[in-house]
Amino acid sequence: MTIAVGVHDRQPWDPRRAQPRRPLRLAVLAVLLGAAACSRTPPPGAAAPQAAADSVAAAARRDSLAVAARRDSLAAVARRDSAAAAVRADSAARAMREASRADSVRAQVQRDAVEEPAPVRSGLDSASSVDLAASVFFEYNRTDLTEASVTVLERKLRVLQRAPRLVIQVAGHCDERGSDEYNLALGERRAASVKRYLVEHGIAEGRIGVMSYGEERPLDPGHTEEAWAKNRRAEFTVTEGAR
Amino acid sequence: MLGGLTWAVASGVQAQDSIPQGGVRVGITYSPGTRPALVIARGAAAPADSLRAQLERDLDFSDQFELLAAPVSSDRPGEAPDYRAYRALGAELLVTLAGGAGGTDVQLHDVRRGAVVREATIGGVGAGDRRWAVHRAADEIVRWVTGRPGMAATRLLFVQNGQLWRVDADGNGPAQVPSAGRPALSPAWSPDGRRVAYTAFVRSGQPIVLQDLATGERDVVPTTEYGLNITPEFSRDGARLAFAHGTEAGTDVYVFDVAQQGVARLTVGRFSDNLSPTWSPDGGKVAFISTRAGSPQLYWMDADGGNPEVLARFDFGATGQTNAPAWSPDGQSLAFHREVGGTPQLFVLDLGTRAVRQLTGAGRNEDPTWAPDGRHLSFVSTRSGTRQLWVLDVETGRVRQLTTSGGARLPAWSPRLATP
Repeated sequence: MTIAVGVHDRQPWDPRRAQPRRPLRLAVLAVLLGAAACSRTPPPGAAAPQAAADSVAAAARRDSLAVAARRDSLAAVARRDSAAAAVRADSAARAMREASRADSVRAQVQRDAVEEPAPVRSGLDSASSVDLAASVFFEYNRTDLTEASVTVLERKLRVLQRAPRLVIQVAGHCDERGSDEYNLALGERRAASVKRYLVEHGIAEGRIGVMSYGEERPLDPGHTEEAWAKNRRAEFTVTEGAR
Repeated sequence: MLGGLTWAVASGVQAQDSIPQGGVRVGITYSPGTRPALVIARGAAAPADSLRAQLERDLDFSDQFELLAAPVSSDRPGEAPDYRAYRALGAELLVTLAGGAGGTDVQLHDVRRGAVVREATIGGVGAGDRRWAVHRAADEIVRWVTGRPGMAATRLLFVQNGQLWRVDADGNGPAQVPSAGRPALSPAWSPDGRRVAYTAFVRSGQPIVLQDLATGERDVVPTTEYGLNITPEFSRDGARLAFAHGTEAGTDVYVFDVAQQGVARLTVGRFSDNLSPTWSPDGGKVAFISTRAGSPQLYWMDADGGNPEVLARFDFGATGQTNAPAWSPDGQSLAFHREVGGTPQLFVLDLGTRAVRQLTGAGRNEDPTWAPDGRHLSFVSTRSGTRQLWVLDVETGRVRQLTTSGGARLPAWSPRLATP
């Protein structure tokens, strides 16, 4: 099977949301330039010498305005070009990362066994490690954070702010009661809910990955309310450490 | 067609045409709900009992016949059976088996008329081939009588201990299918029965894997290298694969075009979940589960994502979350599970009337999948104490247990298979 698609990343391109931006910006620029060139035309019927002087001054002003406008427009073009270049470089880098990740996924599915990732050294002191590893828990079929969860997340915020190189993964889990497949989506939203809180409180988005295990990895294999409460959780692991 | 299974088309269309008016019009008379009484002769010259027993079981599991116990027969090979004796038993249909040069000859008799109406030969040398040939013979007998083939020559894929397993539709031969990821979830058959799509939990994510069942060859559906990718289902023509892709912004239904290798998005959830797509047989509609109005409920939309609409309304107070829809092969209904008092039960929605009918009540019952005959559902039930696969005949309500080792879930029923 050959693979040739342009839709990638965790937020695939949505044609309904994409808007053509560049033509609009050029149109605005053209209107501004036109306004600058026309607004200083002298009124008809003014005295001739004064009119001539005015007209020279006006022409000079016009020229200087035009130069300024051209300069602005060149600067705008340069800015745009450099932004476009940055976007291109960024997207090229992303495309390479994605291609290598796609290759890695392809390689992984050829094997019957699943390799567990090696634990990453966080370089944190033990108290911070405990704070960072603590799970947060959810109500049944809910993804919003409880008071207790916010307290736990506040401690994580402090750790993440102090160790800016740490990258973590948030894994959402569910109890066994819902549908197996729906729980995968629910677990993803639980992890996303935790991530949103951390990002809203200043942690860079790129430092937090999310995934869902649904009901596949219960912490407590029991079938009681107590077991279910333990299993409705988000777990935290360090995926990129101190160095 | 399978080597070793040969259908002697001695009767064929002509034989059907020759059945007189007023007699048993095989394939026409029996409307749904009527079960003709059938007996499989126990002739002196009949082949091995195992073959007869298998055929009897297949016909029993088809739920299309009232199977009568066969008397020890004095019928002789080459001679007409004693129709009067079978009539006296109340039999309307008689199946006789006889060892022949090319295999086993199967004949279907109209007992009242006292005549053979159809015949075929079961070949097959190896035990597996022979077994499958008998399944296909059983499906053919069902087709002779009802106009539509049975579902004996099928099997199911399911998940057990986080790995893919398979089992024949009669419960025979459960076996593990080597698969990627742990767990592997939500197997879905390609309509030609050659491939399976499923979610594989690998180290870096949850891609949808396409696996060739004969060779074990695997590939990843493009764009599913990232994020959560679940609940795949092929369109009936095999050209498209619908699935759900989850991101931090919610889970949405996408369609992968197998020929174009392109992916299109059908829903824009914005922090809601849209999953478990199932195709109408004509490929024009997709039913799915959405949390857009709160708890997960059943919706449908056009196959391009247009006109999404709630399909089975939430019955406040009485029923809860709805999940796992499966569109019936005849296109007339959708099976799904829905919580009643906190426990999932199977339901079927009639698309003509929008009436919803509850099918189960004992234990948890979830994740239905239709047999290709359109009247049987397999599902997961805890009614025996552990999570097992069961089979329900939607028409009669009869149930049987399919698996016996614990923990089976997420079944997917195959199309009719030419070979095991």
